Amino acid sequence: MSASTATVGRYSGPKLQRYLVGYLFILPIVAFFLTFVLYPFARSFYISLTQWAGFGVPRFVGLMNYQNLLDDPIFWQSLRTTLVYTVVSTILQTILPLLLAVLLAAGWRGSVLFRTIFFMPQVVSLVVSGVLWQIMYDGNFGLINEALKGIGLGGLAHNWLADPNTVLPAILVVSLWQSAGFFMLIYFAGLQGIDQTLYEAAKVDGATKLKELWYITVPMLRPVTAVVVTLNVLGGVKAFELIFVMTGGGPNHASEVLGTYLYGLAFGSTAGAIPVVGYATAVSMVVFVLGMAAVFLQFWMTRRARDV
Amino acid sequence: MSGITRRDVLRAAGATGLALATAAACSDGGSSGSNGGKAKVRMWTWYGEQREQWPALIKEFEASHTNITIENRIFGDTDAYLPALQTSVTGGDPPDIYAPHVLAIEYGKAGIALDLKEAFGEDFLKGFFPSTNDEYTDDGKQYALGWMAQTFGMYYNPTLLDKAGVDVPETWDDLIAASKAIKEKTGLIPCSLSNNPGPTGLDFMLPLITQASDKPQLILDLDAQRNGAKWSDKAVVEALAKVKQLVDEECFAPGINGVTSEQASTAFTNSKATMYYSGSWEPQGFRTSAPKAFVDAYQVAETPAWKQGGKHWCANQAGAGLAVSAASKNAEAAVEFLKWVYEPDRYSKIMNDSNSMPSTIAAAEQISDPFMKKMTSWLTAGNGCGHILFGKGSSDAAAGQLAAVIAGDKTPEEGAKGIQEAVEKAQAR
Repeated sequence: MSASTATVGRYSGPKLQRYLVGYLFILPIVAFFLTFVLYPFARSFYISLTQWAGFGVPRFVGLMNYQNLLDDPIFWQSLRTTLVYTVVSTILQTILPLLLAVLLAAGWRGSVLFRTIFFMPQVVSLVVSGVLWQIMYDGNFGLINEALKGIGLGGLAHNWLADPNTVLPAILVVSLWQSAGFFMLIYFAGLQGIDQTLYEAAKVDGATKLKELWYITVPMLRPVTAVVVTLNVLGGVKAFELIFVMTGGGPNHASEVLGTYLYGLAFGSTAGAIPVVGYATAVSMVVFVLGMAAVFLQFWMTRRARDV
Repeated sequence: MSGITRRDVLRAAGATGLALATAAACSDGGSSGSNGGKAKVRMWTWYGEQREQWPALIKEFEASHTNITIENRIFGDTDAYLPALQTSVTGGDPPDIYAPHVLAIEYGKAGIALDLKEAFGEDFLKGFFPSTNDEYTDDGKQYALGWMAQTFGMYYNPTLLDKAGVDVPETWDDLIAASKAIKEKTGLIPCSLSNNPGPTGLDFMLPLITQASDKPQLILDLDAQRNGAKWSDKAVVEALAKVKQLVDEECFAPGINGVTSEQASTAFTNSKATMYYSGSWEPQGFRTSAPKAFVDAYQVAETPAWKQGGKHWCANQAGAGLAVSAASKNAEAAVEFLKWVYEPDRYSKIMNDSNSMPSTIAAAEQISDPFMKKMTSWLTAGNGCGHILFGKGSSDAAAGQLAAVIAGDKTPEEGAKGIQEAVEKAQAR
């Protein structure tokens, strides 16, 4: 029997029918993937190779948009800001929720109430949060300046979102306020899965609470941390709503991230400019590459966590 | 699974296709078309000023034009409106009448907006302020009509100026002198100004180019990069230097690159600032949101002049315009509707009732609101000059460099040169 005959034999009759039925079942998701993921991505990549305002016929320009990116100071500024925002928000939004979860899991009285309080900002939309905090940061009427004056630190009062030195930290505070509760809950769920006998053994060995945290809790939560870090990295790479609402990327691009920059290029909405969709799509490809890097980071961290 | 045959699959696919086709036929898919034998005209704007007037106007129009229905959608702000317009244009289904924002000429050149000279005729267009027509005209074709005109001025609080013992500034030097007195005697912000987002600061800076050069055509030439005009022009450098001087002399609140229009306006209406540089749409907003004592007291003066006795050039143009889709199946009905709306008595009533600044000379003569009357008189006196950039890359480039000069990251010379370089780069995108 030849190889080809063997292959035909393997996929003939009821076996073939079973395979076909199997493929029929995955057909919807394959069709969905092709229609809503692969085709838009391929189309986006093609658009990034064109000069196009979103109307008229796109003009193919090869890699010119990517070349222009290299020579675009606002792009580099927004890339830098995106990376800083991602790194800082990931560090803050990984460590603080972990500590909160550990504290609340200690079974103190009122921990359920605090869990609810910390989680509450999560139910408020990013846009609403942004508007609220924008008002709080206002230089003339903001609550934060009033509070500073109230405690005798009026010298620190200023327009927080108008100062290039304070605008990003100010936004990071809001991001932390908004998401800490969510990540705290993920950690809290992870803490429930740690075998209590490990802590009991540590106690017998005379370990302090800090050592328990460092040598038991943190390593045992590594798979959870991988998820939290990945979500934070992805959230940082595609940061948009909060920054768009609070500063629009200003002042003078000091809080410009790739998301706000590409939105402005594509729609010209805040700048009142003529859209450059081809160029904006090239920026979106950079966001895609960073997003993919985050996904690979997750794979790597998950594998490491599994290997421990 | 052996029960499923190829015929069953084909039958199911056929039925699904038929259902989809029927559904598509029943829906108008959002595009304009006939509506029970009537021409449906979709109109999209962000102009909330006439929100309450449109229902009655449309009812009146439809009663006398039984073959046309009007579907009006007002978005309220450009952040919501522009992405929607962009998406509809990209999808090949723009509204029949729309506010083109800064895209009028680009849409016209791309065949998306109708040439209104042909559709409305020269005589109809003669009724508009020339500056309004100019901004929408390219290569002899006009792609939009001015709807609400605008001009800018210096709003001031007379009580606070009295308290500081200063007069309304006649020139920018007067503003600097007044600012010192205001800060010393009251501790308030001398003049409220916004530069976030960037184009709000251009409303202030671009008229200074005309003030420095006394050539209102220069800004249009710079924008279109024609007649040899370059942004590195001496007048641009002087305009940027003037802004920087005013910033350094602390005429404005610190950090104006981060001050939004709302913040600047609120500081003025709540007596944290004695003056406020802004546009002719403000009185409408003040009436509804500012304290009554303020509304009864505030005043508006012409934009300070470059030098004593100089012309008070002020930002003009109609950022709020109306274009007609060239792809519309109901373009004729759209033109008919607009001609009806712009009939002199009707249009001036719409503008008066909404306290808006009209774009036609006839309506300007019938203005009743004292603020609008005063500000329009500056335009009829010929003081209006450009402050909206329509050229590819112009607005972003100028806004970016202005912000950099204000922040002290660039000198005015570097800023002016930077605008030209950024425009040239943007045009290659």
